Amino acid sequence: MKIKCILALFGFLFISTAVAANQPPSTIWVASDNAKLKADWKSSSATLAEVSKGTVLSVLAYQEKWYQVKLPNGKTGWIYRGKVSETEVQKTQGKEEGGSVGGLLGDLSGSNIRADNTDSSRSIRGLSPEATEYAKQNGTPQVYRNELDKVIDRKVSPTEIDQFLKQGKIGEYQE
Amino acid sequence: MIKKQFTHPDDEINRTRRNLLKLAGPFTLFMACPAYALDLFKMIDPDEKSKDIQRAKTIFEGVGSIATSATDLDYKSEFAIGESLALEGFQRYGLPSKNQLVQKYVNTVGNAVVQNSMRSDIPYYFVVVENNIYNAFACPGGIIFVSSALLKSMNNEAELACVLAHEVAHVGHKHALQAIKRAKFFEGVGKISTANMKGEEGKKFQNMIGDLQTVLFDHGLDQDMEFEADLSGMSFAYQTGYNPEGFIRVLDMLKQKEATAVKEGSWFSTHPPLTDRIQKCNEGMGKYPDAASLAVVSNRFVEYRKLL
Repeated sequence: MKIKCILALFGFLFISTAVAANQPPSTIWVASDNAKLKADWKSSSATLAEVSKGTVLSVLAYQEKWYQVKLPNGKTGWIYRGKVSETEVQKTQGKEEGGSVGGLLGDLSGSNIRADNTDSSRSIRGLSPEATEYAKQNGTPQVYRNELDKVIDRKVSPTEIDQFLKQGKIGEYQE
Repeated sequence: MIKKQFTHPDDEINRTRRNLLKLAGPFTLFMACPAYALDLFKMIDPDEKSKDIQRAKTIFEGVGSIATSATDLDYKSEFAIGESLALEGFQRYGLPSKNQLVQKYVNTVGNAVVQNSMRSDIPYYFVVVENNIYNAFACPGGIIFVSSALLKSMNNEAELACVLAHEVAHVGHKHALQAIKRAKFFEGVGKISTANMKGEEGKKFQNMIGDLQTVLFDHGLDQDMEFEADLSGMSFAYQTGYNPEGFIRVLDMLKQKEATAVKEGSWFSTHPPLTDRIQKCNEGMGKYPDAASLAVVSNRFVEYRKLL
């Protein structure tokens, strides 16, 4: 009888620990740029709000790879697991100058690869004065400077990344 | 009326004493928190009239720059270093691939993982260079190179995302800057401007870029930095929705090619032994029990790979 009681106690403790380990955390932080609060735990559901990196969220439930959360302003909805962290995330100040906000990339999100004709019409931002000075001091051939100009001029917008992930069924768009 | 042309020696001594007393506060504060010390200078001499106080402030700022080290450089300065190194990167590893579709594709995959990285508040630029060496590296400030050979040897987008995420992690951890933090150039320099790119300072800057090339192109970063970037990169790829095991597949592939591949200036010579990395990454996979259910994306990747 004693052995049965001890075994039952161990069993209870084991199950409690396992349940606790699988419990979603009560608080999480938005860890990704471009995180969206959805109406349901599916990427196809309506977007209720864009939530900025570092926002603290209260967890209400967990379903598949989605958390049901409550924002500091009281709004509730669902957010994809990949967009959050269980450890505190610092709020971002926004992209530095020259950030990926241009939206100048050709359409990569469509089903076909399309040529991008915008390259030649774009104004080149150019190297920083410091790098230009370095190139001058070092006698770096112009061809390398021009190529670096082009690299720095390429930008990808958050919308394009979102469409790209959607087309590839990646992350929250996985079926 | 002729104004007094000179000061009495006693006045001069008293003034110096007063200023020394005024400096005692900022100095003590400086030892604890340099930023507050500079604010205190403004309080003591708001109109910036005292030459002694302003001279001391300049000295404190210089010392502060040394104390804060290369990893505390502002982004603009960090990016100037990155641009200069990138110019050397093209000369060493070749020009970018002409195919703009491939460039845009790699740039998009890279920026997708950036969204889930530790330092997503700066722009990143990914470039494929035509080279038969298996290599990828990150310049400070976020310019990331990947060789066409490495890209061609991959099999899917998850593998590419993991390699790019590894490089994004180097930028996030500021590994390259840590590696050259003792460079002479940083002694007394808190910001990089065209003013300190000329003369003696300019030579020190060029030497520092030379040191960076030696680290990134020849000797490699500290092994612990590489392991850290491996695991951080896998985490960024996982958060984005890619199977982080893609990174181990790339390391496995490199292991198979190791015997016959060019070693100099490649991941074989600048990174820790592949066996060690594979083992550590396999251990890291324990954090991702559902990894196998995540995206791999082979078809799209193969379409772009054909263009190289």
